[in-house]
Amino acid sequence: MAGPPPSPHKPRRKAKKTSNGSDVSSAPATAGRSSSFPSRPAYPLAAFLWPARSSLSQWEILPLILIAVGLFRWAAGLWGYSGFQNPPMYGDYEAQRHWMEITTQLPISQWYFHELEWWGLDYPPLTAYHSWLLGKIGGIIDPSWFALYTSRGLDDPILKIFMRATVIVSEYLIFVPAAVIFVRRLSKLQDVNTWNSSIALTAILMQPGIILIDHVHFQYNTVMLGLVLAGMSSVLAGRFMWSCVFFVAALGFKQMALYYAPAMFAYLLGVCIWPRINIARFLGIALVTLASFAVLLLPIFLGALYDSYRGIDARPDLFGHAAPLPIFTEYSFRLDHQAWYYPIIQQAAQVVHRVFPFARGLFEDKVANFWCALNVIVKLRQYPSELLQRASLLVTLASITPPCLVIFVKPRKDLLPIALATTAWGFFLFSFQVHEKSVLLPLMPMTALLAGKHGLSKNSRAWIGFANLLGVWTMFPLLQRVDLRIPYYVLSLLWAYLLGLPPTSLSVYKQDGHPTWTGFATTTVHILTYVAMGAWHLAEAFLSPPHGKPDLWVVINVGIGAVGFGICYLWCLGSLVVESGLLDGSKSGKRKAKSQ
Amino acid sequence: MADLYPSIAQCAVVATAFKVLLFPAYKSTDFEVHRNWLAITNSLPVQEWYYEKTSEWTLDYPPFFAAFEWILSQFAKLVDPEMLKVYNLEYDSWQTVYFQRASVIVTELVLVYALHLFVQSAPLAFRRPSHAAALSILLSPGLLIIDHIHFQYNGFLYGLLILSLVLARKKSTLLASGLLFAVLLCLKHIYLYLAPAYFVYLLRAYCLGSKSIFHIRFGNAFKLGTGIIAVFGVAFGPFVYWGQIPQLLSRLFPFSRGLCHAYWAPNIWAMYSFTDRVLIYVAPRLGLAVNQDAVNSVTRGLVGDTSFAVLPEITARTTFILTLFFQAVPLIKLFFDPTWDTFMGAVTLCGYASFLFGWHVHEKAILLVIIPFSLIALKDRRYLGAFRPLAVAGHVSLFPLLFTAAEFPIKTVYTIFWLVLFLLAFDRLAPASRRLRIFLFDRFSLSVASDGMGEDIRVPTANVHEFLLGGWGGG
Repeated sequence: MAGPPPSPHKPRRKAKKTSNGSDVSSAPATAGRSSSFPSRPAYPLAAFLWPARSSLSQWEILPLILIAVGLFRWAAGLWGYSGFQNPPMYGDYEAQRHWMEITTQLPISQWYFHELEWWGLDYPPLTAYHSWLLGKIGGIIDPSWFALYTSRGLDDPILKIFMRATVIVSEYLIFVPAAVIFVRRLSKLQDVNTWNSSIALTAILMQPGIILIDHVHFQYNTVMLGLVLAGMSSVLAGRFMWSCVFFVAALGFKQMALYYAPAMFAYLLGVCIWPRINIARFLGIALVTLASFAVLLLPIFLGALYDSYRGIDARPDLFGHAAPLPIFTEYSFRLDHQAWYYPIIQQAAQVVHRVFPFARGLFEDKVANFWCALNVIVKLRQYPSELLQRASLLVTLASITPPCLVIFVKPRKDLLPIALATTAWGFFLFSFQVHEKSVLLPLMPMTALLAGKHGLSKNSRAWIGFANLLGVWTMFPLLQRVDLRIPYYVLSLLWAYLLGLPPTSLSVYKQDGHPTWTGFATTTVHILTYVAMGAWHLAEAFLSPPHGKPDLWVVINVGIGAVGFGICYLWCLGSLVVESGLLDGSKSGKRKAKSQ
Repeated sequence: MADLYPSIAQCAVVATAFKVLLFPAYKSTDFEVHRNWLAITNSLPVQEWYYEKTSEWTLDYPPFFAAFEWILSQFAKLVDPEMLKVYNLEYDSWQTVYFQRASVIVTELVLVYALHLFVQSAPLAFRRPSHAAALSILLSPGLLIIDHIHFQYNGFLYGLLILSLVLARKKSTLLASGLLFAVLLCLKHIYLYLAPAYFVYLLRAYCLGSKSIFHIRFGNAFKLGTGIIAVFGVAFGPFVYWGQIPQLLSRLFPFSRGLCHAYWAPNIWAMYSFTDRVLIYVAPRLGLAVNQDAVNSVTRGLVGDTSFAVLPEITARTTFILTLFFQAVPLIKLFFDPTWDTFMGAVTLCGYASFLFGWHVHEKAILLVIIPFSLIALKDRRYLGAFRPLAVAGHVSLFPLLFTAAEFPIKTVYTIFWLVLFLLAFDRLAPASRRLRIFLFDRFSLSVASDGMGEDIRVPTANVHEFLLGGWGGG
């Protein structure tokens, strides 16, 4: 609350009337800074925060922003979730609920072994702890929600409210504070005024992808993304060890955070080497990272030891027989199953095996990445999967090496977000076992760029908006499968509207001053893609796919998406290289214009 | 005109996005009521509209609203003809829900337009405050809760009311204002609460001379009279012709219902009932007689009669006289000072008096007070001082309409959001009053505003006295 209403008896402000009659008592009292404000808002989100230009404190506007974005999240959550009343397997919602069930009902050593065919736990331990905590809380409200076996596929409406609330609370405890602090630090570092950073914060928090996947379709991505963002903002503050803690926590929540790992590693290595080699810092970072991993895994290991001490078997289904380890199977016979340390090895092997499913194919579903798109032209299944995996590894490495090199050579904290975005795009496009929801990973640091210098300029709004809208568009088949068309349209169009992006406005493509070729190319590529997206929506809605090609619309979606994301990767890489100043020299002028 | 950001249209777009997201939210029986009316008007001849009673939710709005439902039903036909069958009770396919919810959003455009005109018609110096007031109505938690979750068409109806109030601002459109209000009465008769203010204002400002009240402008009086008769003739004429007026009136004015509505509106009768409940326990010690029937029959949340165990019964006549008396006070002032500002104050106070003293008042009727008051709340700080506790208590008193867990965060958080945003904005925009201060009541309103969230029942009463004195104090 913004304080009690002021007493009517305090010195009163008479309405000042200027010559044009407007009341200026609340107009900006910041004559010195007024030059940094435009004369009229360029896009609707700026208009909404227009009355806040004058207040120098963000504490008046921040609570309102957080309440407003929270309301949109809760309202979106009134819609259905994935797998609602959809047996036999239900969906992501059931997976998360089931993890709360097994973590609260089973001994810790059985968590990663319990009936793996029904949504077996395949996320790292922090997710398990998070599920345990939520399950404990929910169990107090209604124990039947998380009763072993009988609660499977439960669709109690009150449970839905509880689950929606856990997503919001988790987000407001992790992602939102991280975003607020990140935006503050970045705007201080790059001298962005409070008003613009409030706009950027709202835009970041209203990102349609995050709301649609976490609050509507159902998952806890914002916990992982929030921890990464907290790591990014620790880097901005120069607290490298804290950034390691947060980053390890992110990895420990969802292994997808590995998309960011190479760039993070390259950056942290870079700050230990440039401008001079700093052994102490390097050791500190290494030790903190190891210690964080140790703390992360400790409950699982200690629990396994304690359970074996109590005589609880991790795999009661085997009736005391030993099973070979899921990984390094050929060496498992050398182990002594009776040794005191065996439960730890067993747990470690199982966690790694569950979290990194190497045995699966290159891709499963239709995802807008390179391999899926390539599969349309060349049937990839005819090649041996080893070859494909190796090819995927090589291409991924090739795509992430340039950004990692740049951030390693120029370890500047303001470059980190875009380096993270570039490597995440590389992983999304070229690695194997990618899910369409993984597009949230490159989008998060890319959208965070809105808070930076020129972050709200037409060019960066155009590109960040393009990536986000394309991202949610590629998730449309996923959402449409569970009847979430309306929240998809509402939230993505709303975000486009707020930031003045197509299809609601073309103003970001109006070039001020002299037009440039890069500006023209951007406009052409974007407009063509937007037109294709719109046409695709019309086709998908009104035309049934031709006979024998039931997946035609999805395949087209994947194809356009992959090309668009490839362009986003190139833009991020280009911006990173230009911003890093590596090209500053004879021929940099042309590319510089692109990044402005 | 610079600086009026965010614009009304921009707010409407974002609010619409939010309202569309609320499509799957809880909907009250009013949803089924309106679906039933769609079915009745679409599938039955006009003669049977007010006799049809397959559903318990019979048509009890005036004829123009029935016609409005008929127009909607022409579109409903294209969406899902099943919803237009009278016997198809409780029908709520997703097409029906989307259609009805969308119709509320679309017809609310009338409100958007009316608010736009309101800002345009404001004097330049008051454009910023008027703009803020317009946004506060557009984003009102009252309309959100009642229309977009609970389900009704208040946005459309209040849009017409504001349109009529705006038209009353200029002499040249006074006639249109009066006729529009007549149309509004034929849409929903709850606006009869405000009719005395219209009557006095139109009489004095339109039919009588501006210098002397003995100078009757017969031309104007004739135009207004025939216009209003024509409007009511179109609405009720056919039913007069078919001899259905008694039936129609019994539907429109169900006096057989009790003094208090199922959910007590926070008015004087709620306090009266409450006192009665307390007296049941106290009376034996005081030696008062207790009516034992009433002890068991007092309705607790059901539609029906409230009878009192200790206190004397209240008749419809009593409420009527009390209401008229408290309406008369501002009307006398309006008669001698027929300006638009006084008219707005009188409209607000007529709404207030009816809400506080009326028979079978619904808690939703508080919008009759809040919305006209919003338009003048920024006139000066004294008005704002009276508006603040009303805004808090009035909106909180709507909370019981929604009792489902999923909507709880929306109603509370949205209302807090609105209160923080607009009370802060209003505080920055309201100019000081040029009138004398009344310290006692100002202090009282402050204490009410600060703890008003919890104690909604006593607030409006305190508030109306405050407003009466505040508005009249220096007058």
